[in-house]
Amino acid sequence: MGIKLVKGGMMDKHKENYIKVILGLFSMTLMIYIGSTVLKKARVDFTEESLYTLSQGTKSILSKLDSPIKLKLYYSKTAANKGTEGLRAFNNHYLYVQELLRQYVENSRNNLSLDIIDPRPDTPEEEDATAFGLRKFNLTETERYFFGLVAENESGTEKIIEFFDPNQKDKLEYELTKLVYTVLNPQKKNIGVISSLEVMTENLNPYMTQIMRMQGKSVNESWMVTKMLGEFYNVKKIEKDTKVISGVDSLVIIHPKDFSEETLFAIDQYLLKGGKLLVFTDPLAVSDRSTGMHGRISTSPDSGFKKLMDKWGIISKPNTFAGDKYLSGVGQFNPNMPAGRLLALLNCNENCTNEYKDNITSGINNSTFVYPGVLKTKSVESVKHTPIMSTTRKGNSYTAQGYELNNPQALWNKFSEGSEPVVIAYRAVGKYKTAFPDGIKETEDLKKEKKKENKNEKIEIIKESIKESIKESAVIVFSDVDFINDQFAFKKSFLGAAVANDNSTLFLNSVEALTGDVDLMSVRSKGRINRSFDVINNIEFEAEKRTADKVKEINSSIARFQGELNQLGRKANEGNIGLIQNEGIRKKKELAKKIAILKKDLRSVKREGRERIEGIGKFFQYLNTLLVPILVIGFGVYYNRKRNHLMQGRRIAKKHDKNIKSQSNQIKEMNI
Amino acid sequence: MKDKTIRNLFCKEFTNYLKTPLGYVFLVIFLFGIGYLTFEPGRGSFFYMREASLVSFFRYMPWMFLFLIPAVSMRLWSDERKSGTIELLLTMPVTIRQAVIAKFLASWVFIGVALSGTFPMVLTVVYLGNPDLGVVFLGYLASFFMAGALLAVGGFFSALTKNQVISFILTVCVSFLLIMAGSPPVLDFISTFSPKYLVAIFESLSVLNHFDSMERGVFSLSNLWFFTIMIICWLYGSIILLNGNKAS
Repeated sequence: MGIKLVKGGMMDKHKENYIKVILGLFSMTLMIYIGSTVLKKARVDFTEESLYTLSQGTKSILSKLDSPIKLKLYYSKTAANKGTEGLRAFNNHYLYVQELLRQYVENSRNNLSLDIIDPRPDTPEEEDATAFGLRKFNLTETERYFFGLVAENESGTEKIIEFFDPNQKDKLEYELTKLVYTVLNPQKKNIGVISSLEVMTENLNPYMTQIMRMQGKSVNESWMVTKMLGEFYNVKKIEKDTKVISGVDSLVIIHPKDFSEETLFAIDQYLLKGGKLLVFTDPLAVSDRSTGMHGRISTSPDSGFKKLMDKWGIISKPNTFAGDKYLSGVGQFNPNMPAGRLLALLNCNENCTNEYKDNITSGINNSTFVYPGVLKTKSVESVKHTPIMSTTRKGNSYTAQGYELNNPQALWNKFSEGSEPVVIAYRAVGKYKTAFPDGIKETEDLKKEKKKENKNEKIEIIKESIKESIKESAVIVFSDVDFINDQFAFKKSFLGAAVANDNSTLFLNSVEALTGDVDLMSVRSKGRINRSFDVINNIEFEAEKRTADKVKEINSSIARFQGELNQLGRKANEGNIGLIQNEGIRKKKELAKKIAILKKDLRSVKREGRERIEGIGKFFQYLNTLLVPILVIGFGVYYNRKRNHLMQGRRIAKKHDKNIKSQSNQIKEMNI
Repeated sequence: MKDKTIRNLFCKEFTNYLKTPLGYVFLVIFLFGIGYLTFEPGRGSFFYMREASLVSFFRYMPWMFLFLIPAVSMRLWSDERKSGTIELLLTMPVTIRQAVIAKFLASWVFIGVALSGTFPMVLTVVYLGNPDLGVVFLGYLASFFMAGALLAVGGFFSALTKNQVISFILTVCVSFLLIMAGSPPVLDFISTFSPKYLVAIFESLSVLNHFDSMERGVFSLSNLWFFTIMIICWLYGSIILLNGNKAS
């Protein structure tokens, strides 16, 4: 009975233990779930580019959400996993997009929801993805690959990102925030354009233009960039003598000069009411032909507009241009001169924009400026200035006047290397003060009122001004007008005008950045740090260079042979035709032999490059798979041998002690 | 380690790995295996991707651990129980808690040594390009935490059974479940018969989700919480089981 009791007690103890374990695991699950949910937001982003941290601008836009928006991320994961290795690499980008979207959801106060959809072939999900207009790639006859996003709000407005390009990773946050913003504000934006130049003319149809040209009439056509603008926005031309600017979301000002006082006042007031400005000034505008006849060069801003810029804290230096030897492009000032490197032609690449990581310039690495001006800033209360583009650190500012402007050598004579980047585009965000604190005097025709009295009097009235910005606003200033002119942004192609560089994209990016929220504008590009294998790239580059040299050598041999053959042909007459033919054949054989040798060299150059890369690959593979395991085995053998040796020594010593002990015992016994 | 008993036991256990062939076999298989998989022939391999990051290296870490950690943990208690040395151990002035902690720490540090043996990988990316070393560091930390969690699971099953093979198989199964807990196919399957909140709870148990999040370069307190709770709770389970055995 007693034994039974003990057994029963032990069984209870076991049961108790198992219950304890089960309860422990249950509470572990709950603790993990609660902890994971609560502590999710407490995080540190260890990435160098802060890839997983939302910028303040995005958070601010998300905090303005007051109605639900549904995000549907379409990613063909199954298809990608079945596909090629290259396609599987998209999984990494997918994980990044997913993580960033989760951040959006977490910061949206439950207004954003995220659905991740893997559209399989012949399913309603795939039909939806196609209907939404997401880009699809046919992998096989049945499998299609999607990687896009749809955002829908309650009223049914849909906006999409048709495809997430891994090469645009640095711009992803901006794209996502823009998507959310456009779902919140879906209507097409109105853009006003005001200029001292004929950037927008009456819309003549191409047929009429052709006829007018045939009749020898000059046709002023709109600039291509303003035409492009019309594809994305409602573009409204604002006249130079306008008195009020309203009904436009942003105002583009090109080459501001000779604007009336009323127009300047209207621009000033427009900005203070929260309007946004994109301004292109140019102290040396070669696109403006209106003053060219008199040997003068057109400049902007004029003194009137400078008064406005002064309030924004942006100063354009007169008669000065930004030059950079390392960015100087090749061109010619007039057709009679040979083409050469020009200090005044600035070919901006990523070195002009990398430092500032601005979304406007994200992906822009080939833009051409002609005599770009130099912008400086001065401190203005509650206005923040950020540079957008500049020369490299070795750029400098130069003054040029009169004949120098047409003389490349005269400009090069002035060259001296700088030590600080010269800024050619600035952004100013904040609250501004008016440039017209006393308002302006406006003459008003009193004809109507005095009609009855048959008098025609004019009176002057003071138009009151808003003294300070009502809300934050933004101004972007570029110090060049020429770069958006057709001559420098487009080239003539067989099919009409084609984009020549990134100039027009830079223009459109700037307008797009302005039409959004000020917060959207502050979403910075994440920047991109090159993480490719530099060592391998260098080897490839070197091999390519050597290959190109060989190809050049082969081509020049062929050209030389062709020349010799032609020469022989010219010498040929009835008497020596046979001889010359033989000579030609001999030369042809020689050339074939030479080309064969060169081709062999070419192959060996290519092979050498490939083998060097493969060799490096193999070296690192062996290093990473074999080196440490061999060291571990070596250490193990050494350690255990030493240990065995030690143990053996101990055993022998023990045995020895034992022997001595037994001997001494025997001696003792014998003594006894 | 303030507790002298734990320290002594830890040293004894750790040096045991160096005295037995198992430790070396583990190290060699782990280091060779992870190196081979990283450079596996194919277009997803480290060298083909040409990106100075350890993404293709850490990608295989959970799957290497899935089989190798149970191999280390299976002998933690099963061996002692089978050979009867556990009785000897428990007659000494050592509490079960101290023994469990010391054994766990010794095996965890041993895995840490194995991880540090992959240092040529770091040297390789530094030589070839410009890696984000913060992310690399976090990847190693995530691997170390994951190893700790899986070791604690393995220790529990080792305490549960005398048979090392059963302990190995049970650890592999539970580790696999914990690794796959957050994957879409498993969640889809569970959602067919469970309410949404249960699916979310199950998803939160995913080792892979927490590992991935850290390996990408984001360290969240929830990750630290997850791995700490996992280790403590499974070790606590081992202590309860061993206390029960001691009583019997």
